[in-house]
Amino acid sequence: MTAAAPRVDSVRVDGRGIWFRSAADDVVDVCFDGRRVWSFWLQRDSAPSAGGRLAPWPSALLRFLDGTTRLSLVAHVSGVTVYDEEVSLGAGEGRIAVVSPEGKPLGLDKSNRLSQTFDSRSAEQVAPLLDSIAHVLDAIREAGVEAFLAYGTLLGAVRQGGLIGHDSDADLGYVSRHSHPVDVMLESFRLQRHLSTLGFDTYRYSGIAFRVDVIEGDGFRRGLDVFGGFIAEPVGDLPPMLYLMGEIGSPFEREWVYPLTTATLEGRTFPVPGKPEKLLEATYGPGWRVPDPAYHFETPRATVRRLNGWFRGIRVLRSEWERKLSHHRDKPAPDRASALADLVVAHEGVPSHVVDLGAGRAGDALWFARQGSSATALDFVPRAAEAARRAAEAEGHTLAVREVNLLSLRSVLAEGARLARSPGPRTVLARHLVDATVPAGRAGAWRLCEMALRDGGRLYLEFWAGDGRRRHEGQLLAAVPVELVAAELQERGAVIVHREVTTMQAASGETGPAGERTVARMVAEWQTR
Amino acid sequence: MSLRSRLAHRVAGDLLTRIEELEAEVQENRNLNLRVAELIDLVQELLIPVASQDRDRIDAALAKFQHSL
Repeated sequence: MTAAAPRVDSVRVDGRGIWFRSAADDVVDVCFDGRRVWSFWLQRDSAPSAGGRLAPWPSALLRFLDGTTRLSLVAHVSGVTVYDEEVSLGAGEGRIAVVSPEGKPLGLDKSNRLSQTFDSRSAEQVAPLLDSIAHVLDAIREAGVEAFLAYGTLLGAVRQGGLIGHDSDADLGYVSRHSHPVDVMLESFRLQRHLSTLGFDTYRYSGIAFRVDVIEGDGFRRGLDVFGGFIAEPVGDLPPMLYLMGEIGSPFEREWVYPLTTATLEGRTFPVPGKPEKLLEATYGPGWRVPDPAYHFETPRATVRRLNGWFRGIRVLRSEWERKLSHHRDKPAPDRASALADLVVAHEGVPSHVVDLGAGRAGDALWFARQGSSATALDFVPRAAEAARRAAEAEGHTLAVREVNLLSLRSVLAEGARLARSPGPRTVLARHLVDATVPAGRAGAWRLCEMALRDGGRLYLEFWAGDGRRRHEGQLLAAVPVELVAAELQERGAVIVHREVTTMQAASGETGPAGERTVARMVAEWQTR
Repeated sequence: MSLRSRLAHRVAGDLLTRIEELEAEVQENRNLNLRVAELIDLVQELLIPVASQDRDRIDAALAKFQHSL
């Protein structure tokens, strides 16, 4: 990439995207009425089309493209405008406004996610973010770990002394004093516990990365990511390697990080690695000084495999379920028993304690609470059950909602112990859990049930049954063979006391297109040993 | 295809299969790190109140542990 403007000809804009002719490979900002909303690489992000190239609109922008705008293409590095025309898209008549429901200007970040990027925020608006960074850095330091600005936040501080316009969040990192992955994770767990004790809400991404939520002055909930890293001991003649979640694996010296030095970000002083340029080169490659608002990490396979193998795996499908359930957050849970709840009542009457595992919106938990059960709703997206919890509370019923991550051994063991201590016997009901998770999630579920039900009570399952084909991308529920589930349960010491397989018509949704589905219901117990 | 190149072809195929198996085994081993760390963390945080035989402290430790995840 050079500072000269790329040659871009014959630009046409329509509902599919931006069509152009160009042999140059350069990164270009797409501006609507003078404001950047997206950036793309002329070659990388386009495909040959009708003798030229077409850069298709990113899906996140599509819903806004209805109306008129002054669309300009500006070469990001040189700042030269290569196209500038009034453009109409869709059937709408007004100006196209890429804004949030509250009217705040939005743009696409480097991952093509819609966010309130820094270039649309005033100094006054970013001040709370700077306060939050300082606040979280102090809290981490109190726990004995020296964290610093990392990723785009470090890049902005070093390159321009400010936040990068096309960025939307702030990242912190640290390099552990430990060199073994287990010790590095234990340190990250301890760090998160310290922040939690101080009153921060936290959210773990992996064995060495988590988010800290800070409530800013205007009530805005800001998430700061804290990425752990460590330097692995040299093996043979190979150099020591820095691994920093979530993209870095590079030959590195500890002296390039500690002692830390400082850099200025928007007029404030923050800690950065002793030789920040070394970390920036390890992060973005030797071209890190040249701005790229559409930067894509090309993390080497060996690094991805190591980071995945050591630290990842506790969040599989979680973002997808969070997205799905966020649409239902304030919607009241359905006020009726599911077929599985009916089966529970047919076998047990109304149980004294019902645990709804993988509760989602907790409709069954709420229904049982209304029948007089003490109900517990467990899910890794607990806020989906918030409406049910509020309804139960208002009506004077007992419905506890807790977060459980079946992919985290700590979470499973802690909840299993807690349930085992609660007054029994317990009835665990898991409707569309088996088909909503992965094999490791099922293993966690069986372990939790074994703990909760070892002194009595039963597990009731309902799931889409099928041949266990791999789940395709975006598919939330994937049918699982009945025999596989039965075998897994038996392996964990359970006895299957009832099973039924029926067919039913399902509407189109997270399971795929509308049509006939096989549904399995199974009852298991751990007979007293 | 000559015998020699058929043989080379088969050896290459066998090697590819073995590389895939080895890669899977390496990942299985790496996965143990997270499990070990999770177990140590839980045991360490709970053993102290358990050793004190104090029910309330055990319950409180468990609740605090869960909240911090």
